[in-house]
Amino acid sequence: MTDLAEAKEQLTQASQQNNEPAPLLQRRLAARELMTKLRLPRMQRFKFHDWPLIADQPLNWVLSATDLEQLTPDDEVIRVTQVGQTTVHIHIPDKLKAAGVILTDIFTAAREHSDLFERYFMTAIKADENLLTAYHQAYLNAGLFLYVPKDVVIEKPIEAELIQDNTQDEPLISHILVVADRGSKVKFIQHLTTVGDHANPANMMIELIARDSSEIDFSSLDELGASTHTYFKRRADIGRDAHVEWAVGLMNDGDTVGDMDSELLGEGGYANSKMIAVTTRHQEVGVNNRVTNHGKHTTGLINQRGVILENSELIFNGIGQIIHGAHGSKADQQNRVLIMSDQARGDANPILLIDENDVEAGHAASVGPVDPHQMYYLMSRGIPRKQAERMVIRGFLGAVLSAIPAADVRNKLVDILERKLTDGQQYQ
Amino acid sequence: MATLEVRDLHVSVKDEESKKEKEILKGVNLKMQTGEIHAIMGPNGTGKSTLSQTIMGQPGYKITQGDILLNGESIIDMPVDERARKGLFLAMQYPAEIQGVTNAEFLRAAINARRADDDQISVMDFIKKLDKNLALLDMSQKMTERYLNEGFSGGEKKRNEILQLLMIEPTFAILDEIDSGLDIDALKVVSKGVNSMRGDNFGSLIITHYQRLLNYIVPDTVHVMMDGRIVKTGGPELAKKLEDEGYAGLRDELGLDIKLVDDED
Repeated sequence: MTDLAEAKEQLTQASQQNNEPAPLLQRRLAARELMTKLRLPRMQRFKFHDWPLIADQPLNWVLSATDLEQLTPDDEVIRVTQVGQTTVHIHIPDKLKAAGVILTDIFTAAREHSDLFERYFMTAIKADENLLTAYHQAYLNAGLFLYVPKDVVIEKPIEAELIQDNTQDEPLISHILVVADRGSKVKFIQHLTTVGDHANPANMMIELIARDSSEIDFSSLDELGASTHTYFKRRADIGRDAHVEWAVGLMNDGDTVGDMDSELLGEGGYANSKMIAVTTRHQEVGVNNRVTNHGKHTTGLINQRGVILENSELIFNGIGQIIHGAHGSKADQQNRVLIMSDQARGDANPILLIDENDVEAGHAASVGPVDPHQMYYLMSRGIPRKQAERMVIRGFLGAVLSAIPAADVRNKLVDILERKLTDGQQYQ
Repeated sequence: MATLEVRDLHVSVKDEESKKEKEILKGVNLKMQTGEIHAIMGPNGTGKSTLSQTIMGQPGYKITQGDILLNGESIIDMPVDERARKGLFLAMQYPAEIQGVTNAEFLRAAINARRADDDQISVMDFIKKLDKNLALLDMSQKMTERYLNEGFSGGEKKRNEILQLLMIEPTFAILDEIDSGLDIDALKVVSKGVNSMRGDNFGSLIITHYQRLLNYIVPDTVHVMMDGRIVKTGGPELAKKLEDEGYAGLRDELGLDIKLVDDED
C-alpha cells in the first residue's frame, strides 16, 4: 500500500470510530489527497517553512484530563469549554435553545445538523488553498459550531474557553464555525490557552458567515504556550449590510503565523479588523491582515499595533484590496510596531491593491522605538523606566484597545498585556 | 532643610544640523534651599531651559564640567526617575501627550513611585487629595479621566503641570516658563497653586522672561542669566528694574560683550 492509501485507510477508520457522517469522511479523504499536491502558504517578508506545523502522526481520538473547576451553571452566561478534543462544558440558556440557537462541538454539528454544516463548513476557507488548509480538513480533531437563526439577537457574549492539551503529543486542529443568519446579532469571545509543555502544532481556523444585515463581534485572546507552533486562519464572509468586528489580542508565547481575512461580498458591508500583538524571547510572529472589498459601498478597516521585545520578530502585513466594481468603497489601514530592544526585529507593511476609481483608500504605517519624549516625561515624575515603558506601550496600543467593545475582554487583555510585558522586560 | 546647588556647570548640546557640540551653559553657580523661591530671568536663547532640563536629567544635555548637588549629594549620574524620587520636579514647557493612560492613573503611579510597596496611597486618600487640588486650580473632575495631556489646550497643559506639582509635593520644583501662553486668569490660578506649596519644606526655581509672573509669585531671589552664565543676582526689585530697562540696559550697565538673540543687527 502506498503512503497515501495507508493514510486514507487510517482516516477512514478514525472517522468511523468518531461516528462521522459520510460527507465529512469524504472531505477528509479528498483533503488528504490534496495534501500531496499543495504547498505551504507564503507570507511576504516572513519565513516559516521549516516550522513543524504538520504533526507526523495519524488522526487519533484522545481524552484530555478535565479536572477543571466545575463552573456553576448560570442561566445568563453562555459558555463552552474544550480541553484538547474534549468538550468539558457547554451551556446555553433554554430561551435561546427555544429560539433555535445551536451551540455544539463541531462533530455533533456534522452529525445532527448536517444540512447547516454541509452548507457552510469550509466555504469561507477552502481546503485547497494551501497545504495547511488541506491538512486542517483532513485531520480536524476539535472545534465548535454556532448557529444564530434569522433576526435572533443574543445580547450576552458567547464565551469559548479553548485549552490546548500539551500534556501529550497530539496536535490541535480546531475549527470554529459561526453562522449568523439574516438580521441576527451575536458576540463571540474566545480565549486560547495551553496546558503542558510537549511540543505540538496548533492549526486553528475560524469561519464567520455573516449573512445579510447580521452583526458579528468576534474577540479573541490568544495565549497559546511557548512549545506550540501555531498556524491560524480566520475568515469572515460578509453579506449585504452585514457588520463584522474582529478584535484580536495575539499574546501567544510560541511561534505563530496567521491570516485574518474579511471578505466584503455584499453591498454596504462593513469590516473592522483590529489586532494587537506582543512578542517576547526568541519568538517569531507573522500576520497577514487582509480586507477585500468586493461589494459596492463597502467599508474595510484594518488597525494593527505590535510591540516587539527582547530577541523576537513581528511582521504585520496589512492588505487592503478593492476589487473592480466595488464602487464607493472605502479601505483604510494602520499598521504600527514598536521596537523595544536592539535585538528585536519587525516591520509593518501596508499593501493597497485598488482596482476601482471612485473609492477612498488610505494607509499609515510606522516602525520605531518608544517615544523618548514620552519616556522622559513619565520618568521625570518618578515613575521607574520599566513601568513608564509599559505605560507608553499601553498608550500606543490604546487606540486598538479602547475600540474593543466588551469592557471585560478589554480588561482581561490589559491584564494579559501587563503580564506579558513584565515578563518580556526581565531580560532587557 | 534641603538644599539644591549648581556648581560651575558647563553643558553642551549637539546641534542637529551641524552635528557639532555647542556649549550652552558656561559656568552656572546657584544655591538655594527649601523655604525659598528663586527666579531666573533672561533673554531668549540664554540657557534657562537648558539649566532646568539639565537639573532634571534630560538625556540630550551633556555636562562637560561642574556638578549638581541635592542635599550635598551629586545627582548628575542618576537617571531622571531617581532624581524625581529624590524630590525634584520640573513643570515642563512642552509636556508629552500619552494616549491610553488616564491623568488620574498617571498621578497615582507618580505618587506611589515614591512610596514603599506596602505603603501605597489608598484610593480614598488619593481622591480626597485630588478633589482638593482640582478645586484649588479650578479644574473639572473630567480632566482626570482624560488621557494624559491628550488634546489639552496650552492652558490646560500648564494647569495640569501644576496639578501634578500639588499631588506629588516635591522638595524642589523647577517651573520652566509656566506663564507662557497663559491669559491673566489662568496665570492667577497657576500662581495660586504654586503659592499654596510655599513653606519650609518646599523650594522653587521659576524660569521666566517676563516679570509679570513674579507679581503673583513673589520670589526671594532673582537671578539674571545671559549667555550661559548668571550675571546678576538680587531681590524682587531686580525683576522690576529689568522690566523697566530691558536686558540690553543691564548688559550695558554690567559692561558685558554679549549679543542678545533678539537684537537687531
